[in-house]
Amino acid sequence: MANVVLIGAGFAGQTAALYLGDALGKKHNITVINRYDVFGYTPSWVWVGVGQMEPEKTTFKLKPVYDKFHINFVQGTAKSIYVDDQYVLVDKADGSGETKVPYDYLLIATGAKLNFAGTPGLGPHNGYTTSICSLPHAIDARDRLFQLMERMEKGEKVKIVVGTGHPGATCQGAAFEYLTNIHKVLLKRGLRDKAELLWLSNEPALGDFGVRGLRVRKGGQIITSEDFIRAIFELYDIKWQVQTGVRKVEPGKIYWENYEGVEGETEFDFAMLIPQFLGPGFTYFDKDGNDITDQMANKGGFVLVDAIYGLDWDTLAETPEAWPAVYQNRKYKNIFAAGIAFAPPGSISRPFVNPNGLSITAAPPRTGMISGIIGRIVALNIIDLVKRGRMTHSERMTEMFAACIASMGDSLWDGSAATIVIYPVVPDPRTYPNEEGRDLFVTDMEMGLAGAWMKRMIHTTFMHKLQGRIGWKFIPE
Amino acid sequence: MTTFQITDKEKKKMQNKIVQAWRFIVLNLKILKAVDHSKRS
Repeated sequence: MANVVLIGAGFAGQTAALYLGDALGKKHNITVINRYDVFGYTPSWVWVGVGQMEPEKTTFKLKPVYDKFHINFVQGTAKSIYVDDQYVLVDKADGSGETKVPYDYLLIATGAKLNFAGTPGLGPHNGYTTSICSLPHAIDARDRLFQLMERMEKGEKVKIVVGTGHPGATCQGAAFEYLTNIHKVLLKRGLRDKAELLWLSNEPALGDFGVRGLRVRKGGQIITSEDFIRAIFELYDIKWQVQTGVRKVEPGKIYWENYEGVEGETEFDFAMLIPQFLGPGFTYFDKDGNDITDQMANKGGFVLVDAIYGLDWDTLAETPEAWPAVYQNRKYKNIFAAGIAFAPPGSISRPFVNPNGLSITAAPPRTGMISGIIGRIVALNIIDLVKRGRMTHSERMTEMFAACIASMGDSLWDGSAATIVIYPVVPDPRTYPNEEGRDLFVTDMEMGLAGAWMKRMIHTTFMHKLQGRIGWKFIPE
Repeated sequence: MTTFQITDKEKKKMQNKIVQAWRFIVLNLKILKAVDHSKRS
């Protein structure tokens, strides 16, 4: 009987858990360790953050799902991993102390560690900005936004800044969507003229989104994502400042440096800035009790897998096989990492170091879709290893699709969304020998009501799928 | 390369239910094409 342990119940972990439970749950031991007893549908926290969706519509309890799939659940925080003795040390959430969870196969799918401390003054707890990166944060952001709107209703003019809160942050798509939803909410409340909106980001250009942007042919013209987002911002009267790394935040002021090395500050009344994402940051020990973390994870705490690390960016851009295919640690082959937890071989967008030596480089995003696909690939491979002793599945991010749907209001009648479809996420110039390195039929961007329908459909289908409800396997990640 | 602008004609298309129903179908077909490759992995 095999012990399969998963740390994390986000898109990657929950997808993997369902496949593993379905295939192995009755005869083998599948255990999920997660800090919380609920799954949170992160993409809809944008809507929670503007009061367009009730928080409870974005979560469901994990245990009833796991019971259906013969999965054990340990609610707690994983602290360290003993890679030779093969167990995870967990601090149990009920306060009863530590427990050892043994494994034959381990999947680390912890999602992002939100490094607010990486930017002094950032974040809702010890800082002055809001966040939509967790449900409590999104609720807090909503409440603060509503308080701000009350001030605006009394005639006050305000400045709202949304974007990235660290020179190496990612997730620009979510931040962009939050900004467009704020615009829509203010418009609906008749308050739009009371607010100056600013997009502040570390992207090399507008519309980069950490994936190098895209170019599509529309009506005979080539349109770049930079053109597309600029057109939206001009339509919505949103100002923008890119090539900027936020260094610190004080009450009402954001301090930044840009590509030219210029240091500046921007005032704000309300700011939502995405923090730097780090990996799980576990400590790894060998059989002699030595700390071997530097062999298992990179400096950011992301787990080293079957990627080719250390390539310069130009070489990486021409080497699709540098991206991992099976998400397996090279030394400890029974350890896998999925979703945000694995260490990518580099950035997708071109990195930049300014004259002050500051790297202002958008980190590669891992959306829910990508995380789910990786979770499935790893789960299927673990099933293969248990049943057949060898893996038969693989998929790199140079083969994966991503859809970024930035809603602008949630109405299914007169709403809208900017839909950006990218295939593959990481350009592959060998398979697609065009300037983009992408499939030019699938890769597209557009704006309209169809995007609003897509966004709502994806919320409903993902929530259905990840609860393991009928037909869950037929719904794509 | 031409600078893209959202014209009044574009704005009408964005809210035209028939046009958007077609775009909804096309977007789903694009997703299915990519997903088909993924499911074979």
